[in-house]
Amino acid sequence: MGETYKVPVGPIHIALEEPVYFKVTVHGETVEHVDILSGFVHRGMEALVLRRNFLQNMIITERTCSLCSNNHPFTYIMAVEKIAGVKIPPRAEYLRVIADEVKRAASHLFNVSMLAHLVGFHSLMTQTMETREVLQDVKESIWGNRMDLGANTIGGVKYDLDKEQIRYLIKQLNSIKKPIRELAAIYRDNRIVRARTEGVGVLSKEDTLRLGVVGPTARGSGVNNDIRLIYPYAAYDKLDWDVVLEDGCDVRARALVRLREVFQAINLVEQCLKALPDGPVKTKGFPRIPKGEGVARTEAPRGELFFYVKSDGSSKPERMKWRVPTYLNWEALKVMMPGNKIADISVIFNSIDPCISCTER
Amino acid sequence: MKTDKKEIAALLLAELKVYINSGFDHRFSHFDHLGNEDLYLSLHDKADIKAVASLFEKHTGRVITITPYVVDNGFEIAYHFDVRGVVLTVTLLTEDGTVDSITPNLKSADWAEREMQDLFNIKLIGHPNPDRLILDEKMAKGIFKEYMTLSDAMTGAATNTLWEQINEAKGEQNG
Repeated sequence: MGETYKVPVGPIHIALEEPVYFKVTVHGETVEHVDILSGFVHRGMEALVLRRNFLQNMIITERTCSLCSNNHPFTYIMAVEKIAGVKIPPRAEYLRVIADEVKRAASHLFNVSMLAHLVGFHSLMTQTMETREVLQDVKESIWGNRMDLGANTIGGVKYDLDKEQIRYLIKQLNSIKKPIRELAAIYRDNRIVRARTEGVGVLSKEDTLRLGVVGPTARGSGVNNDIRLIYPYAAYDKLDWDVVLEDGCDVRARALVRLREVFQAINLVEQCLKALPDGPVKTKGFPRIPKGEGVARTEAPRGELFFYVKSDGSSKPERMKWRVPTYLNWEALKVMMPGNKIADISVIFNSIDPCISCTER
Repeated sequence: MKTDKKEIAALLLAELKVYINSGFDHRFSHFDHLGNEDLYLSLHDKADIKAVASLFEKHTGRVITITPYVVDNGFEIAYHFDVRGVVLTVTLLTEDGTVDSITPNLKSADWAEREMQDLFNIKLIGHPNPDRLILDEKMAKGIFKEYMTLSDAMTGAATNTLWEQINEAKGEQNG
């Protein structure tokens, strides 16, 4: 019991959906230190996008990952629009928010359902996924796909909503409010869930700021870094909403932020549908992208997503770089895990809503 | 919100003038109708990146990411910072492929610097944990710098031979 052991978790491991390597040092049952290695499925997308034109890169960026797939082309497009000086029509601004918030709600429900799965509460997991399935249906009915929506384009959006689709969307969102309220109460109050999440994987507010942690992981430690508020884009500045913050600094607080943000996402979509202006959904034609550079960022489900695009005036970017939310949150695991039990590793790992696919652009 | 960011940006520019020894160019700013402010600067001396990091540390700023790319005389490295909601892109040139690490000041630079070391073989001076991040130990460093696609190679872009032959033929035609 008194000895220190090194336990390798990964890169291929039953608890990991995607490959990443944790070198965990344990003393008895308690984690003492964690080291992380990545790069096992690095795809070199930043080199690939330099070989494709600005239109083709809307398609490539959407394939960076599946859960926040809408945010990748969305953010990339906003950076390109800045270089080209494009101002999109007001209707498109609202439609961009609608697509993004539907994706956020579905992504957060997926993450909390995985939490239920990891703490062994399988009925809670399946019920959460069943509720999420309504959103998957919505995505397939409106955008034609369950994951990649292809909603955005340079100059606006590629889809519009008619009256029938708006009625359908409102009806579907209404249908999941009660189930989500009931599920949220279980995540919040159930004895088993609390025992496995409360005081587990603590990340202080100071460490959150020091490490530059983003998204619900930071907001669970009381750090207000929601890009929708601090760097507004699309129609977020015209909607009535507040940033969701929790101060528990643990796995539970992060889950509660995500659950509250599911309600918020539904509310934001409803507000957009009510205020949806008439008019075109995109600018006419396709703009020439001049020489220049631009940055853009959005609040993806996992946190701040950043794109930098540099153009030399040709049809292809000269350089493109994107920083995914998970990228900054990995280092936080080194703070969250020590002092916890081996059995908590997977629960803490899930609490940053990790995306290896994103990290390995 | 709109005035705030303009004021913060002006304050940062004024402070940078004091902090940076060898000066910088304020290339341009992008200010949008929602009040967002993006600043684009270029350092005259790469060593001044430490001073920039130290100023932004004082403001509880963070590194969003770092974009290195190859230029004719070395590398340009664009550092993207968030300081109180303002995005600053600070670019420097390194001709010898070395640069001071800013991770001791801003921990959020840690992974971005190690990635740049792996993919471009840019040497970091003073990084607290300069281990490999992405590439396996067995692979050569600087793969992004060396990378050439099959399509480039097949169109003759791997060497100058094809163009030399074309130019030679043109010269013959032109007498």
